[in-house]
Amino acid sequence: MGSSAAIRELQRDLENKANDLSKLQKDIAKNHQVRKKYTIQLGENELVLKELDLLNEGANVYKLIGPVLVKQDLAEANANVSKRIEYISAELKRLDGTLQDLEEKQNSKKDAIFKLQQRIQSFQAGKAKA
Amino acid sequence: MEQAAAGGKGTVTPLASMFPVNEAQKAAKRVEEKIGEKQKELDCIKEYVTENTNLINLVSRLPDELNHDIMVPFGKAAFFPGRLIHTNELMVLLGDGYYAERTAKQTVEILTRRGKALDSQVESLMANMKDLKAEASFFDVTASEAAEGLVEIREDYVEENSWEKHSKSDDKNNDKKVAFEDDEYARIMSRLDELEKEELEAEDEEVDAEDDDESAVEQPDAAENDDESDTDEQTDAAESNSENHDNTQPKAKFNQFPHQIHSEIRKPLQQTTAEALSNKYLPQQSITDTSNVLMQTPKSGFNSSKAFTGSIAESADTVSTNSRQQAVTSSQASEPAFDSSKASKPAFDSSKAFTGSVVERTYNLPTSGQDAVSSQSSSSQPSKPVSRFKIRRS
Repeated sequence: MGSSAAIRELQRDLENKANDLSKLQKDIAKNHQVRKKYTIQLGENELVLKELDLLNEGANVYKLIGPVLVKQDLAEANANVSKRIEYISAELKRLDGTLQDLEEKQNSKKDAIFKLQQRIQSFQAGKAKA
Repeated sequence: MEQAAAGGKGTVTPLASMFPVNEAQKAAKRVEEKIGEKQKELDCIKEYVTENTNLINLVSRLPDELNHDIMVPFGKAAFFPGRLIHTNELMVLLGDGYYAERTAKQTVEILTRRGKALDSQVESLMANMKDLKAEASFFDVTASEAAEGLVEIREDYVEENSWEKHSKSDDKNNDKKVAFEDDEYARIMSRLDELEKEELEAEDEEVDAEDDDESAVEQPDAAENDDESDTDEQTDAAESNSENHDNTQPKAKFNQFPHQIHSEIRKPLQQTTAEALSNKYLPQQSITDTSNVLMQTPKSGFNSSKAFTGSIAESADTVSTNSRQQAVTSSQASEPAFDSSKASKPAFDSSKAFTGSVVERTYNLPTSGQDAVSSQSSSSQPSKPVSRFKIRRS
């Protein structure tokens, strides 16, 4: 009877771990999506910076804020875009870090679940013999 | 049954056990789906490209006139007539909410730069899809082969071995489509050279024929000359032996085989021919087998098989029909070994040289020499020629 209680304990443990794992996997998927969005933005901003660099000094540059176009200085626009690129790069780096972290956690969780399953199996095998 | 066919040596593993059919099919399906996604992406980008080129055309035409009469969209459904002025002033969206005031010419420059970026994207997507397609075709082939019950035969190569072994190792190569190892090829070539030397010493009267064959070896592309010399030899031999034997029979054979080869070469798929072959009788099998593999270089392949038929006719003159079959099977045992090597030219040459040797040996033998032939070709019996056809599951 003691063994069956132990098995129930293990199974509950296993369920918890499986839930954690699925949560982790969801996080990873979300992380990937955010990363994708940021990568696209980074590409766009780099394109803007390139075009701004190609403009000559006197060109009029506008920024669309809400429904209105606001006139901006070329130098100011340039600085803004550069800052934005910097920010996105930093964000991407941070996301990379968290992603790695999450993946490590996921792997360790997988290992733990695998071990738990083995233990349950051995328990059941012992029970079948007895 | 497969184990029995392996003859105890080596191992026979059904391809299906290594790559389960449904697994391979699943993988193929997944890759197909991926290809579909990429195709959609590619279509999307291509649409952008055409839109971009259209825009470039429009923008470059706009400043041609001082103003344009247009219909101005107003709200969702309404248009009213208007006039486009300042045709050389454009507000270009650079991305991320930034706009720049540009002239038409400058706008076209920006747009062409964008077009280039799009082109590079298209190129990378195409390369990606090409890779995926290669993957898909690999999975498909694997799945169909596994479904057909193709088996892999593994066997250790032993130097002092019969031709039968060669044919078997060749079968393995054919089945798995593994590239023929160079060193194995070299070994077979050296063995062939030895045989050739022996024959040269043994027979001086046949030097002419040998020379013909060797000239053909040097110039495999000289198709017409080659054929003529072969047919000449054949007719000569036939005449010299016309007292002893019925001349018409080998002739008929000679005519029959090229026809066979023609029809077989037209058949594109190796598998279908192989299946069709399993019903035919042995010499035909051997010939169609060679033509089958040599199809990759159709011209030379055809020539070599022609030369081969010539040799059959010659040997038929001296030996009985039965022993002719054996001579053919013995040569068959050696020939596919070269065929499987993708280097078609040397393969073609060596097979030629070897058919020459078959001819000469039969001349040397007494008329009742079918035993001698079979022993020389070292125990390749017609009953057990090509394990591939036997192994194929029904």
